[in-house]
Amino acid sequence: MAIDLSRISLRPFNLTDVDDFMLWAGDDQVTRFLRWKTFTSKEEALTFINDVCIPHPWRRSICINDRSIGFVSIFPGSGDDRCRADMGYGIATKYWGQGITTKAVKIALSQVFKDFPNLVRLQSFVAVENIASQRVLEKVGFLKEGMLRKYSYLKGNLEDLFVYSFLATDSFPVVDP
Amino acid sequence: MEGGGNEFTGEITLRPLELSDIDDFMAWASDEKVTRFCTWEPAICLNGHTIGDISVTKNSGNDKCRGELGYVLGSKYWGRGIATKVVKQVANTIFAEWPHLERLEAIVDVENLGSQRVLEKAGFQREGVLRKYMLLKGKTRDMVMFSRLSSDPKS
Repeated sequence: MAIDLSRISLRPFNLTDVDDFMLWAGDDQVTRFLRWKTFTSKEEALTFINDVCIPHPWRRSICINDRSIGFVSIFPGSGDDRCRADMGYGIATKYWGQGITTKAVKIALSQVFKDFPNLVRLQSFVAVENIASQRVLEKVGFLKEGMLRKYSYLKGNLEDLFVYSFLATDSFPVVDP
Repeated sequence: MEGGGNEFTGEITLRPLELSDIDDFMAWASDEKVTRFCTWEPAICLNGHTIGDISVTKNSGNDKCRGELGYVLGSKYWGRGIATKVVKQVANTIFAEWPHLERLEAIVDVENLGSQRVLEKAGFQREGVLRKYMLLKGKTRDMVMFSRLSSDPKS
């Protein structure tokens, strides 16, 4: 049964999200293309939520009915790079393939350019094997600019990454109800 | 990265620069300067000439496979294949000197055609245009990304 996408929202993390957080952040499939390691204990997760998620410049929990099922993170640059920010996201496997991440990224887009007035370019680096994530970005309206060969390590593997971008001057997608 | 500035400091001798000076320049370029961590340094004097600067910045952690090449050459020395020769020399030697390095990249303004030609001649591959990638003198600029891998053939 398809999820009603009006139940999807973004909000900051709370420590009380820890059990829900572990359901997706403790899953290797979810963290496979992320830089951070799969969480193995509630203590680890609490520390991470407290030390990283909550003080983060822009990290949101993707929620269904206010329960955390994933995240979207935006990392702005500084100095000459302040026109630019990197975006990452992940979501529990149970919710893959239903348009939820696409909706969450559209919501993030509608907020982040206002939250960071210097932001001109939002970019995302996606492993070439991560087809699902590439589709999310394409559906939202990001432009694939090229493939960066052997750009960085991901879980110990040297990866070719596609670079995608969305500019403040691009056409913003409508966030469906 | 800029293709060259209009100024250089240091004492200028009265003879024209000769191609034989390039060997000294490259000995320096492939030795100390490629191990620097920063981007731009004050101009370097060499045999009384300062003609340019070349550097490769290191990264750490998951990005240690990647280094960014930057270079600047006094405009007086443009058009003679000097930058190409120096970039080739660095690209041909740095992977042996830095075993962790897999990818040497260079990010060039879309309007800097001279610098793009240098990289192409030095065997770099053009990967794409990064729109409004960075601020240069207060304006956002589109930049072209180039790379050369340790597995690419020597130029």
